[in-house]
Amino acid sequence: MRRALIAITGLAAGTTALVVLKGGPGAGQATAGDVPAASAPVAPGGSPAPDAPPPTAAGVTPSAAPSTSAKPSAKPSADRTPATRTSTRPRTAPAAPKTTTKAPKPTTRTVTGPTVTYRYGSLRVQITLSGSRIVDATGLDMPVGGQEGQRADDVQARYSGSSGEVVAKQSANLNTVSGATYTSTAYKQSLQSALDKA
Amino acid sequence: MTYQHTDAAGRRTGHSAPYGGRPAAPVPPGRPRRGPGGRRALAAAFWLGLVLAVLPWWLATPAGSLADTADLLTAGGRITGLIAGYLLLVQVLAMSRLGVLERVLGGERISRLHRDLGATLLVAVLTHTALLLVGYARQERNSVFGEVGALLTDYDDMLSAFVAAGIMVVVGFTAVRGIRRRLPYELWYALHLTSYLTLLLGYAHQFSNGAQLYEPGPVRTGWIAAYLLVVAALAWGRIIAPLVFNLRHKLRVADVVAESPDTVSVYLTGQRLNQIDMLGGQYFRWRFLNPGGWWQSHPFSVSAAANGRWLRLTVKVVGGHTADLRDLTPGTRVWAEGPSGTFTAAHRTRERALLIAGGSGIAPLRAMLEELPPGAALIYRARTPADVLLHRELDWLAQARQTSVWYVIGRRDDPGPRQVMNPEGLRHLVPDLTRRDVYLCGPGGLVDETVRVLRAAGVPRRQIHLTAFEL
Repeated sequence: MRRALIAITGLAAGTTALVVLKGGPGAGQATAGDVPAASAPVAPGGSPAPDAPPPTAAGVTPSAAPSTSAKPSAKPSADRTPATRTSTRPRTAPAAPKTTTKAPKPTTRTVTGPTVTYRYGSLRVQITLSGSRIVDATGLDMPVGGQEGQRADDVQARYSGSSGEVVAKQSANLNTVSGATYTSTAYKQSLQSALDKA
Repeated sequence: MTYQHTDAAGRRTGHSAPYGGRPAAPVPPGRPRRGPGGRRALAAAFWLGLVLAVLPWWLATPAGSLADTADLLTAGGRITGLIAGYLLLVQVLAMSRLGVLERVLGGERISRLHRDLGATLLVAVLTHTALLLVGYARQERNSVFGEVGALLTDYDDMLSAFVAAGIMVVVGFTAVRGIRRRLPYELWYALHLTSYLTLLLGYAHQFSNGAQLYEPGPVRTGWIAAYLLVVAALAWGRIIAPLVFNLRHKLRVADVVAESPDTVSVYLTGQRLNQIDMLGGQYFRWRFLNPGGWWQSHPFSVSAAANGRWLRLTVKVVGGHTADLRDLTPGTRVWAEGPSGTFTAAHRTRERALLIAGGSGIAPLRAMLEELPPGAALIYRARTPADVLLHRELDWLAQARQTSVWYVIGRRDDPGPRQVMNPEGLRHLVPDLTRRDVYLCGPGGLVDETVRVLRAAGVPRRQIHLTAFEL
């Protein structure tokens, strides 16, 4: 029984260690101005990122991301890549009022991502940008009715709109909506492509 | 039932008998040792598998993406989920009766591993469930109970996953020693058997909802492959290998002999017995195919080394099943699974050995004596002289193989046992105690106490070999 206790302690310690190593201190979510960073693989000047462990950087080759996003055919195996890339450099400095420096001309434009087909249907994401800042996002052609529609509504409610998670996070690195994993992933994939285009 | 002739005892050994028995099939004198190499390889494979199970999460999770508490909880839930999925596979594999595992790890070590891993698995599953429930509930600003409802309705395959977790909890708690003792063995066994269902019921939700597994790719493929391998191992170890063994050897009861008022020996014959790769001290799981006994299988050691002509098990009558053994009729077909176990002369680390038997625990040691090099020592604890089993064979072996045999008779508190069963007493009988492998077989209390005495006398842990089916 002693070994079982050791094993359980090891389980708890190991899980905590993994989460802490990944979560790390100062792992702030990028809040604003993430769009320019997304189009350039390397984060601008001296982002400290002291806690970024190498495995994620090694696991995702930055050059692979644009090619997958250029392809509109939604290959599900690739959809992890773009989401990962945007956050390989977590900014510790939030740099909130970046719009003033980065966007001298406050013109709004809309960019639409490619149609992504997933298990329960297909969707595409349209974002509205003011300069380089996302001010609105919405999913188009999403399934209506039934369980698929319910899932689509959940995702839409969480992500879209001027107060949704997309605008809050300014990136495609969104929390997956539980109960709607496929829909969330498809949404994020289309969003990432739209961001790359913008 | 027949009763033994006193002058026939000498024929019981597998070797060409000086008393006129037919010469037995030759047993190679020095069996190759079976060291700890295989065990270490299995341990390495286990840890490698564990790393591989968690690696997908590590690679797919961007650093710093775990911003708020909900993310941290969800991440913890995913990790424990991956670990639980892996441990479940290891659990089933450990119980697959795969010949390699049975002969490299041995039944005793496997059942300890099964118990310890089982406890860990239960904790991992409960942690996985709890962390994900709380994590999702926070993310969706839902109550935990509301989240249970959401999981059951909105997610695929979650109902079966919850059922699987429930089964695991029931199985886990009934396996706790105190509770298990209060249940009839058959009920406990049936409950424990339902744990195979968890493999089935827990399968789907890993792929429909598992963040690392639902996307097609190497991770998903590997995980499915691991499942298939485990199921294949299960089919091989539980069905195919025993089928092959029994069709090949066709064991039957030849005779049932009373060794003492409450002990019987069952002699078995069959075909091609000289081709059974069996070592003295190993055991089979026996199933006697008569109306009362075909549905239960029990492990008993073989009480004579492989001799190519017959197998024998010597069993003390303690319960319903063992009582039925007395009434076996010759010719009854026997289904055997094995041989299993690492309680053999080949697993010793030193050249010489000390065997300590208690009561009917003499059976595997008696078989092992034939394969140990000369110079072994045997201490046989028994409560009364009538409880000493096979003593003619032992005396004969002592003579033929220069083995010292001491019979220590009496209750634990009688002067004889008290004098011997302590560090000084053992050292007095066997001065080179610490340079021998010690093999222990007997009732749990005796084994535990003797291990304490041996450790106090300075015998290293790895030189002490135990066999115990009861945990």
